[in-house]
Amino acid sequence: MGVAIAAPDLEPAPRRHWRHRVNFLPYALITPSVAVIAGILAFPLGMLGWLSLQNYGLRELIAHQGEWVGLDNYTTILKDPLFHQVVIRSLLFTLTCVALTIFLSTLISLLLLKVRSAIRVLIASALVFVWATPVVVTVDIWQWMFDYEFGVINYLLTQLHFGNYIHHNWFDNPVQGLAVIALIVVWGAIPFVTITLFAGLLQVPGDIVDAARVDGANAWQSFWHVTVPILKPILLIVTCLSTIWDFGVFNQIYIMLNQRPSSDYFVIAIYSYRESFGVTKYGLGATIAVVMVLILLAVTFFYVRETLEVADVQKEQMA
Amino acid sequence: MKVRKVWVSTLALATAIAAAACGGGASTTNTESGTLTVWLMDGSAPASVVDGTNADFKVKYPNVTVKVELQKWGEIGTKLDTGFAGSNPPDVVELGNTLVAKYAAAGALEDISGKKSTFDNSGTWLQSLTDSCTVSGKLYCVPYYAGSRAIIYRKDMFASAGVQPPDSIDGLLTVGQKLMAANSSDPNFSALYFPGKYWYAALPFIWDSGGDIATQSGGKWQGSLSSSGSQQGLTTLSKLVSSLSKADKTGDEAKQDAAFAQGHIAMIIANGWEVGVITDPKAGDPKLADKLGAFPIPSSKAGQTAPVFLGGSDLGVAKKSTHQNLANAWVATLTGNKHMTEMATVGGVIPNTTSMLNLGTGINAVFYGAAKNSRFVPNSQNWASVENANVIPDMLVKIFTKQMPIPDATKSASDKITTLLNGS
Repeated sequence: MGVAIAAPDLEPAPRRHWRHRVNFLPYALITPSVAVIAGILAFPLGMLGWLSLQNYGLRELIAHQGEWVGLDNYTTILKDPLFHQVVIRSLLFTLTCVALTIFLSTLISLLLLKVRSAIRVLIASALVFVWATPVVVTVDIWQWMFDYEFGVINYLLTQLHFGNYIHHNWFDNPVQGLAVIALIVVWGAIPFVTITLFAGLLQVPGDIVDAARVDGANAWQSFWHVTVPILKPILLIVTCLSTIWDFGVFNQIYIMLNQRPSSDYFVIAIYSYRESFGVTKYGLGATIAVVMVLILLAVTFFYVRETLEVADVQKEQMA
Repeated sequence: MKVRKVWVSTLALATAIAAAACGGGASTTNTESGTLTVWLMDGSAPASVVDGTNADFKVKYPNVTVKVELQKWGEIGTKLDTGFAGSNPPDVVELGNTLVAKYAAAGALEDISGKKSTFDNSGTWLQSLTDSCTVSGKLYCVPYYAGSRAIIYRKDMFASAGVQPPDSIDGLLTVGQKLMAANSSDPNFSALYFPGKYWYAALPFIWDSGGDIATQSGGKWQGSLSSSGSQQGLTTLSKLVSSLSKADKTGDEAKQDAAFAQGHIAMIIANGWEVGVITDPKAGDPKLADKLGAFPIPSSKAGQTAPVFLGGSDLGVAKKSTHQNLANAWVATLTGNKHMTEMATVGGVIPNTTSMLNLGTGINAVFYGAAKNSRFVPNSQNWASVENANVIPDMLVKIFTKQMPIPDATKSASDKITTLLNGS
């Protein structure tokens, strides 16, 4: 079967055997999935790329007819100082969120291994609840908690004598505001990563860890030199996925700031949306989205390559 | 008797429109059928006015189903873009008066210049609303209603602090400071509650000191928020906000009526209809009804009032609509004498015609009066981009939170406005 799908046989086949050599069945079987993937991925991406090469505003939208401008949109955004700020802000924000997510999730998943099963069920249920609640709902709740006038966070911090937080505005200062938003993003990301890592930890053979202990490794050494290498494929995958998700953060910022975030809070997804739907420059918005995909490809390339290498090594070991 | 007369005249009007529309008279009014989709904004017209309009319309067009869909202001730009882009757009749309130019210029709205006289009071429509409907000399919508802002205040709080409504901006500061002193035991007290992004309420201060958002010369726009007049107005406002307001400096005005109803605020800058929200049994506090008063936003020149922003809505018909005649007939019913009177008396908004300005009584009279000294944002097809890019709210936040000094914040905003208004 494998041979039939892979490279064609280079040796010229006797003519009469041709019919028997080429097996169309695998191609036929794979066609529906290829068509679906092309439909849901390639077509919109292609449209996006095509849109990014046009001047496409409201008039063009209504007339369903854009104006071809080549790479003009790309030159415009590359010259735009706000765009540079937005890209740097997005990268820093993503780095912070991913690092915190992976760090905290690893700690919680290790904790899950150690606790009694009743506690484990309790923690896991709490995590699943966080995960199962729609983002819009959770962000709305967070917004109320951080509210300037009626927020419970300001009330609690004041009651617990952390200072006077009555009428403290968390979003006055963009660094503080983005820290609050990072907190919400990380909070929402922890359940998936924790549960995935916990599943991975269950696969770590206990006897190897025990052997390391017997050989004199302390807790940190056995974690770093035994557990982490075994977890590596899973760590790579969750880091890669977290990077993709955190780089595209939109809801948390948009809802927290009442759908009117100021430019200090623009990350790349917000900026693209603002250019497209805010100032109705759909072509420019599409260009930003294309650049976003390219940056994401560059950033995740490393993870994907590592994952493939790990997979190759494991395949060899199995073979 | 009067109502019946109006009803009869509306019917006659609709018949006239239908006759004009049918031209050859191939069909009569009553046989037209289909579904008319109408987008109105949430909170604009009382439900009774919409129901009444639909009932009157049903009498004339029994085979037509009218589907009124209420839209939210927050996301309306995106909704309208996608709505108009589709091949089956809503037939009638209510548009904020600052948005019309954008959609008219993009070819989304029907040119109704030739039908103007078929609408009631078209000779006495409010000039500012008519201007907002006019793009390159053509009429693209029917003025619907207007709103202008004044200061709503608590009469009881003024009395216990021993102050009177001020007649100058200096007086406003003095009165505010006395109110702050009289309520110093309440840490949440605001003499004048002013959320940071409330740009409609900031405009009067800019205009009063001779500033403006942008000026046009030779077909080119030039942002003018950094002019000395604008800066002076913003300096005055910034002083008022820092000494009299505990409102969120990064927040908007959406929650101001609910906040006012809680009793820690003496003054807000608000529309006339907000009195209804403040005293609403669910959203506000009905007990405040007889404690509320209003006075116009004062000018820096004692005894005068500051120019206010004339907000409002217009009704347009989609160019791609397949029921343009029905759509115009529906608009004519809603903006006809009968329902326009209800908009003023029940809805508490300023009606679309100067002939009804005498309908404002009591507290409403203050808001009707404010409309007489009113101004508008730059009437450009690109204005909606300035609004959607939050240029002015962002500038205000930077000023009030002292992230940027006034000259820098206004310069940056002004440059952005110049670019956006002159954009293609």
